[in-house]
Formats: sequence, C-alpha cells, structure tokens
Amino acid sequence: MSFQLTDEQELIRSSVREFAEAEVAPIAAEIDKNHRPPLETVPKLGEMGLLGMLIPEEYGGTHMDTISFAIAIEELSRVCGTTGVLVEAHSSLCTWPIVHYGNEEQKQKYLPALATGEAIGAFGLTEPNAGSDAGATTTTAVRDGDDFILNGQKVFITNGGFAKTFVVMARSTDAPGVKGVSAFIVERDTPGFTIGDPEQKMGIRGSSTTPLFFSDVRIPAANLLGKEGQGFEIAMQTLDGGRTGIAAQALGIAQGAFEAAVKYAKERVQFGKPIASLQAIQWMIADMGVDIEAGRALVYQAADAEWKGQPHSIPSAIAKLYCGEMATRVTGKAIQVHGGVGYTESYPVERMYRDAKITEIYEGTSEIQRLVIARSYLR
Amino acid sequence: MKIVVTYQWAPDPAEASVGSDGKVDFSRAKSAVSDYDATAIQVGRALADATGAALIGVSVGGPAAGTPVATKAALSRGLDEVLVVADPTLEGAGTLTTAKVIAAVVKSLGDVALVVTGDSSIDTGARMTAPVLGGLLGWPVVTDAKSVELAGAAITVSRVLPEGVQTLSVAGPAVIASSADASKPKAPGMKDVMAAAKKPAAVKAPADFGIALAPEGAVKSTGKVSGSSRKGVRIDTSDPAAAAAELVSALRTTGVLS
Repeated sequence: MSFQLTDEQELIRSSVREFAEAEVAPIAAEIDKNHRPPLETVPKLGEMGLLGMLIPEEYGGTHMDTISFAIAIEELSRVCGTTGVLVEAHSSLCTWPIVHYGNEEQKQKYLPALATGEAIGAFGLTEPNAGSDAGATTTTAVRDGDDFILNGQKVFITNGGFAKTFVVMARSTDAPGVKGVSAFIVERDTPGFTIGDPEQKMGIRGSSTTPLFFSDVRIPAANLLGKEGQGFEIAMQTLDGGRTGIAAQALGIAQGAFEAAVKYAKERVQFGKPIASLQAIQWMIADMGVDIEAGRALVYQAADAEWKGQPHSIPSAIAKLYCGEMATRVTGKAIQVHGGVGYTESYPVERMYRDAKITEIYEGTSEIQRLVIARSYLR
Repeated sequence: MKIVVTYQWAPDPAEASVGSDGKVDFSRAKSAVSDYDATAIQVGRALADATGAALIGVSVGGPAAGTPVATKAALSRGLDEVLVVADPTLEGAGTLTTAKVIAAVVKSLGDVALVVTGDSSIDTGARMTAPVLGGLLGWPVVTDAKSVELAGAAITVSRVLPEGVQTLSVAGPAVIASSADASKPKAPGMKDVMAAAKKPAAVKAPADFGIALAPEGAVKSTGKVSGSSRKGVRIDTSDPAAAAAELVSALRTTGVLS
C-alpha cells in the first residue's frame, strides 16, 4: 500500500492552501466571533472549483478523486473549520447523492448551480427524535397526484441559513422503520418550507446550523431522489462519504493547531530559552505530530477505497472516529503548549479546540462509529 | 505571435527557517513557482488573452525544475506550454548563465513579441535577469512595469516610480520586468490544476541549444550575515502592550528611535 500523492494531488494541496491563506484565513476569527457565515467566500470557492469537486465535468464540476477532495477539505479546515464544513456538507451531503442517485433531469437541473456556488446545498436527515436513530424519521411525504406534500421538522442542518438546494429524508410509505423513508430534493423558496433561527454554537460558529420546518410543502414527484423507500440507503451511502470528509475536516483543524503550537513553542521564551527546547513541550509536539500522521493515513485510506469503488463504510467510520477524537486531543495540547494565551481569543487555538469538538458528533457520533466498527469485527 | 514568461522553480521562502547564526535554511522548504514569477505569468496571460498570442513559460534550473510536478505547477498558473532547460550544471545558476540559456531558448522559439520576467528572483534578489537578457538579445528592457499593453509591435508600459507614473512606448520585441504589484497572484483553480497535465511541457538540456556552460564566478558575500551581529534580544509577546513598550524602549536605547 502506497500513500504517495500524485502530482495533481500535491498541486491541489498547494493551490487550496494558497487560496485558503489568502481568502479564508483573514476572516476566520471574525466570522467565528460574530457567528457569521462567510457568504463572501462562496463565489470565490465556486470560482476555484471547490464547490463542484464531486460533480462530473459535464455538469460543471471538477470531478476530483476523493483523496484530492479530502486534501481540499483538510486545507480549508486548517485555517477555518467553518469554511471546511461549508464545502464538505455542500459536496458530500448534497451534490454526492444527486450525482449518484439523481436522474438525468435532476442532475441537469441542480448540479450546474451547485458546482458554481450559485446554489449551496444542504442535507436534511436529523430530527428532534431521530438523530443517531435515523430510522425513526417522522417527517412525512404524502403522495397527492403528481406531487408529494411534506410535513415535519429537521434540526441541526448545516448550511441551512443560506442553502438553496436541500436533500431531505421523509417517510413516504407505511413501511416500518427505515424501509418507509424516501429522499427528496427541496428548493428553498418552496411555499410552506421555512428555515428557523441558527443555533448559537460552541464551535464552527460561522457555519449556519438551523432547523427546517415543513408545513404542507408541495413538491413535484419529479423531485423524488432515487426510488421510493430508498431514502435510508441513500442517507447511509451519503454519510459513508461524508464521514471521510468530516475526518478530513478534523485532520485539517488539528494540522492548523499543530502548526500554531510549533510556531509558538519556538517563539515563546521562558527560563531564557524558547519553550521548544524543553522536553515537556517536545513530547507534546511529538505526540501531536504522530496523532496527525496516523489520522492522515486513515483519511487517505478511506478516501482511496471510496474512489476505487471498494467497500468504505468501515474505513470511513474508522477515519471519522479517530480523527474526530484526535482533533480534540491535538487542539487541546495546542492550547496547553500556548499556556494562558492559548485560552484567549488572541490566538487561534481556542477557536480550533471549539471547532474540533463537533467532529466527534456530527455525521455520526463517535459512539455510532464504534458501533459500526464493532459490528464489522463481531459479525 | 508568442509571449514568453520566464519563471523560477525555487524553494518557497515561507517554508525556510532562519538559524541562530542568521543563515536561511531552505533545505526543508518545498519548491514552487516564485511569487514574483506568478505575478509575471498573470501579466503575460492577460496580454496573451488580449492579443491571441501563445503564452510560453521558460525556466532554467537544476533537475527539479524539469520534474512533472514543477512543469504542471507552472502550467496550472495559466501558461499554454512550458519549455524547461534543466541540468545539474544549472542548479543555482547565476544571472549571466540563466540569461544566456533563456536568450538561446527565446531565439529558438522565433516570433516572440515580448519576454515578461518577474520583478526579482526569489533567492538572490539581484533583479538583473531582465537587463542581462535584454542585453544578450539586443532588445529594449523596461523594468518596474506596473501595466503593459501590446498592439502589434508597439508596447506601452506604465512604471510607478517614486517620482510619479512614467509611461513609455517601446518598439518590440522587448524584455519587460513586471513590478511585484503588477497583479495579485491568484491560486490556480481546480480545473487549472487538472488541465495542466494535458498541456505541452518540454524538458531540454543546454546542449540542445548548443550552449556550453562555462563556470561562473561564485557569488561572494562581503557583508556580515546580519544574524551574527545580533544581540539576540528576545521579547516575550504574550502581553502585547508590555511587548510594545519593551520594543520601543529597546529601540530608544540603541538610538533607532529618538
């Protein structure tokens, strides 16, 4: 097994890093402080081709391999976890299911705008009583002639405040549990579809996380994604890729914190010499570096499996579990290296620590990942 | 018609480290198209788009300059094709050698209306490649070009100088050194990166142009490395206000501030 990146993957890293340093990093602290989505960055992301990474070229995308996609998410997240998840959720959770389960008409209608950023995508699965238990979905979609009528509520929807295209799971048949769930494409301006106030979160504060309310929302049956009753499968397949993306986000956040810690350790003088010369600091730096390299190997392995069409549920769960918890460990140590100032907003590591925590929770908690992984070993 | 942009594949200064002796260590720095030359490529791209000319990147350097990742990196910035003269003897080549090789390449291309260079080189910062190249080609040279227009053989260059803005009309072909702020380098987009592999890239040796490289005199630094005379005073920046006060005090003590 080799993890030698291709020339293109190396160049994608350097290009996205250059873009992220110039366009994303300068506003990362401000959007966090003001809980403000970085909407001014969206057209720039589109121009860079970072919103159509999973979309085929014939629909305006750049159709990059999944390792390249992970690298791009990693590099954006290295300077801003909010921007990382904006692109990740848009790509993995909205464009991916339309590419893989949409019919030709749906692809032509939705993908070009999603590739440019004219439309940002979101994914509606979680409900107040259907979080980790996705089969408990209670949002309904009732057939009425050529339409479906949606009623219900979703919560914690990333990009909810400004997304135009939503992939939404709703129960459309009487079949019990997961078999009755179908996937639909819902446009933001559909009558009866309203977006609630954004959550005030601990981290990724610039990311718009909102509830969605459906009150007799009439959508054409042509917006059924895949087949009726296929929604749970679509959701799970979507999340398999999404987990690798979130693992990449966690990896990028950790990398950013690590670099900040190394820089600070070399600059901060105590006892007449940089604290980097102290073994206590060196050991933390070493542990952080090892943790990140292990996580990076897991992310690229999961991404590689997905790109090659190999089963990747377990690799993506392993990468998500490890990197989510790794990011919390590494960002925590980065604060420790900084000492008191690391706990203040004067340095980025406290923001990174807050941003990291969510990667242990969304798109499947660490506990769900452990469940998935354990089942694979115990079956 | 062709427009040539010269570029350098060089270690990225942002990844270099400075040792306690004041010496810059590039050994662990990844290489990239220099920032100066990324600017020049954008200037050349705009001219090529306006005139329909082909935009050809020319680079001279050690073997690393001819690797696929190096040529693709340059192509992803907007060049139509690249021609690299790469050879171990060209590793760290000085201005004269570099300019001689570029001049030979430019002559071999034919129909070159303009050569655009960066403002300076990322390593030595000598700012001499454009003047020496112009001398070897027998072409006019304009440096500090903030903007360039090309209409047939007529080249109009605006230079922003301390005295004001100077506009020059030059009969081409010419060598133009674009100023560092002639454009803001933009990161290559994903489509640019993916398309780079499909563009032509030729890697040649000096002998392909009939060039026999003569040993060039080594550059000798006659000044002290600044780090060696530093006092090594470090200021703790954890309290910005106290750090600023300490800095001002130190500058007053040394007479920098009155």
